[in-house]
Amino acid sequence: MTAADTRARPDQTPAADTRTQPGDRWRVVVLNDPVNLMSYVVMVFKKVLGFDELKARRHMLEVHEQGRSIVWSGVREQAEAYAFTLQQWHLTAVIESDEAR
Amino acid sequence: MKRVEVKLNLEAVAPLLDVIREAADDLKPELAVRLQVPDPDQEFSDGWRHELLQSQNSDIGLFLALFGSEFFTTGVVPLDPTNSEAILRACSAVRLRLRAKHLDPLGDDVLESGEAPLDGMTERQRKAFAAYVFLATLQELIVQHLDPTVLE
Repeated sequence: MTAADTRARPDQTPAADTRTQPGDRWRVVVLNDPVNLMSYVVMVFKKVLGFDELKARRHMLEVHEQGRSIVWSGVREQAEAYAFTLQQWHLTAVIESDEAR
Repeated sequence: MKRVEVKLNLEAVAPLLDVIREAADDLKPELAVRLQVPDPDQEFSDGWRHELLQSQNSDIGLFLALFGSEFFTTGVVPLDPTNSEAILRACSAVRLRLRAKHLDPLGDDVLESGEAPLDGMTERQRKAFAAYVFLATLQELIVQHLDPTVLE
């Protein structure tokens, strides 16, 4: 089993992780790239994050115009799972601690 | 998404396949997007990269399978629920690679407009640009079928 396998996917119950403290929050940030189509990014946001059309478009435009958009926040394991799936779709997704704000 | 058979112009698309296959080959050992791992632990990082690479290679394999003997006979590529998302992702990966390898000097505005100054480009760059535009068109077609509301 690989390291990524041990992390929760969005459809799984997150496993306990000793690196995080209860109450720690992490955010998934999508960064702009000049290649992926706007329609593609909207579709990926809807499919991966469960956004409705308006929300997906709003975040896509935020990425496009401001260079980044926070698309999700919550526990670390789930943030990792979303970041991984977004990276599978070749979006540049990172996770950041809320404390970094 | 129902099964869709897309009829491509053989004369236009076939010459692009060498530059597409070359980009796809480049991606066998490396990710299309720079790795962003949320944990510095080496084992975790290696596992994360390995899984992304496996996923990328699987998608690209399905994508390249579109251009087999049937395509060269009929010009048709079949899209269906079992391959459409993988092909969509593979198009993205190959476009990212084409840009990084051949098209970076053109700049974002030219690439977004889809209109490049062909005079100043090498033959390889022209092919790469045509492939880049073709793959975007294929992606838009698939997105339209998967989620018609996106392009409204």
